[in-house]
Amino acid sequence: MAEALLQVEDLKKYFPIRRGVFQRTVGHVRAVDGISFTVQKGETLGVVGESGCGKSTMGRSILRLIEPTSGVVNFEGRNIVRLRKGQMQAMRRQMQLVFQDPYASLNPRFSIAQTLMEPMIIHNLYGSREERLDRVRRLLERVGLDADYARRYPHEFSGGQRQRIGIARALAVDPKLIILDEPVAALDVSVQSQVLNLLEDLQEELGLTYIFIAHDLSVVRHISDRILVLYLGRMMELVEAEELFADPLHPYTQALLSAVPVPDPDAKRERIILQGDLPSPANPPSGCPFHTRCPVAKPVCRERAPQWKEIKPKHYVACHAYA
Amino acid sequence: MGNILEVENLNIQFRLDEKYYTAVQDVSFSIREGETLGLVGESGCGKSVTSLSIMRLLQPPTQISGQIRYQGKNLLDLPEKQMRSIRGNEISMIFQEPMTSLNPVHRIGTQISESLILHKDLSGKQARQETIRLLQSVGIPRPEQIVDEFPHQLSGGMRQRVMIAIAMACKPQLLIADEPTTALDVTIQAQILDLMRKVARENRTSILLITHDLGVVAEMCDRVAVMYAGRIVEEGPVRQIFRNPQHPYTQGLLASLPKVDGPRTRLQPIEGNVPSLKNMPQGCRFAPRCRRAMDVCRQRDADFHLVEDAHRVRCWLHAE
Repeated sequence: MAEALLQVEDLKKYFPIRRGVFQRTVGHVRAVDGISFTVQKGETLGVVGESGCGKSTMGRSILRLIEPTSGVVNFEGRNIVRLRKGQMQAMRRQMQLVFQDPYASLNPRFSIAQTLMEPMIIHNLYGSREERLDRVRRLLERVGLDADYARRYPHEFSGGQRQRIGIARALAVDPKLIILDEPVAALDVSVQSQVLNLLEDLQEELGLTYIFIAHDLSVVRHISDRILVLYLGRMMELVEAEELFADPLHPYTQALLSAVPVPDPDAKRERIILQGDLPSPANPPSGCPFHTRCPVAKPVCRERAPQWKEIKPKHYVACHAYA
Repeated sequence: MGNILEVENLNIQFRLDEKYYTAVQDVSFSIREGETLGLVGESGCGKSVTSLSIMRLLQPPTQISGQIRYQGKNLLDLPEKQMRSIRGNEISMIFQEPMTSLNPVHRIGTQISESLILHKDLSGKQARQETIRLLQSVGIPRPEQIVDEFPHQLSGGMRQRVMIAIAMACKPQLLIADEPTTALDVTIQAQILDLMRKVARENRTSILLITHDLGVVAEMCDRVAVMYAGRIVEEGPVRQIFRNPQHPYTQGLLASLPKVDGPRTRLQPIEGNVPSLKNMPQGCRFAPRCRRAMDVCRQRDADFHLVEDAHRVRCWLHAE
């Protein structure tokens, strides 16, 4: 029944650091440093982590909006990293991206109709302008907006409405996979839940597969089937969503979860306050990248990176504590 | 315990396109000594404007009326010179963006010692000693070196620590914190909230915490005032607001949040959008989005009604 739609193997993205008159490469920022996972058809994979953990770079590398340094990305069994430009463009019809900032991701000079028709034109969908316009109207209604909004411009809309338009644009080409990069982070609380419900409805109706990238853990728990925790470009833990919150195994996940403020004044929780700051991905710590802040670090953590292991059924962790 | 700050019938109007629009209407609240009051609401509800008006940081053509009494004095009547001796000394403020609120061309030490020299008459050398002690107290490693560094050399969390050091330098009576952790990662947010609690306790400082994050409110505040579209709609002790919310807006906000435990059920959003300043609805401003709105809600706004001790709500459902 379950069928893999996307398979990522050892994905890496290093950005060169250039210095001096001749712009020589003096080092690399290891934004994504060896990430592997599989996403099943119709599944939502949540990806969480703090700034600089590589979650956005990962999303963009999968779509090849930035070229990955190495690794394999199999989409329906085809390695898209090897595809030539034209083939890749055709492939993008299957995989779309929704951005965080609904103010910056819509062209202010395009009407909503133009914005939504552009991907249809690029991918040569629907024969005539009338058909495309008709599709635009149906898309707007589908995301909970008035079909007549097609003639309006982005400045006439609120943040939540703009994000609905961003989702409609992604849907315009009937994709199978949508990568959502912090889709509700810029929205007010009361509007955030509207957009989350919309995403759930669309998934059910259209059989979509999501990769949901976010820093807000309660949002990710709500929408995801499984959750991947990243830290400094590496995978820390991967498991079914409720299990991650019920029984987090990695010390980083434990600290992350305990740091989330809960809207309940009576919640008595043991809080793990991590010391220190996030290290720079340009100069990541040796061994396990988390050892500099880990409350239970051992000497071995400084020397060797831990292996990715299945500690409990379908519960994967990279930590020496479970070696 | 006396009230350190009393805000009464505060009204703030902005001029836009030659017309005045009311951003804050009839807002009243008070903060007791050593207490943390949360001012919660979504974007455009007037929470930040309210805090800026306390510091008298709003410029004309903004119109302000009402009273802001600090230790009995109405701050709105004070001459600027007296206000300056209060600002940064007795009442201080931290902002959301630590990078934009620190001056990039001045050393960390200079920015902290400035208020010590100004308000506390310390010599340069004494101020430097005190600055190093302050940096240490907010958990900055190597304070003797950091004191001579520039803001860009520090991380976001460290910069927010510096902001707290500046705000706490003169041991203020009241600290106004406007979304102090919104720009920070969650593990850093935990550090900063912990630090704010610690320094406030040590100095017996009251805090006015402005935030949109109900989790932060539950964790930090003694009392909460919920704002919507320029008005306070509900106010009370933190436990009552979370356990027994009475205003449909407060109830809606709490119901719309995804949970970190328990079964995952469909979210209950508040339909519609926050009204804009130029398009305020008649009567209760929440009425167009309220599931329980009645005719009267669309005509006149409700007065406050007492639910329990110190818990009041502005809603017609509670009118006798």
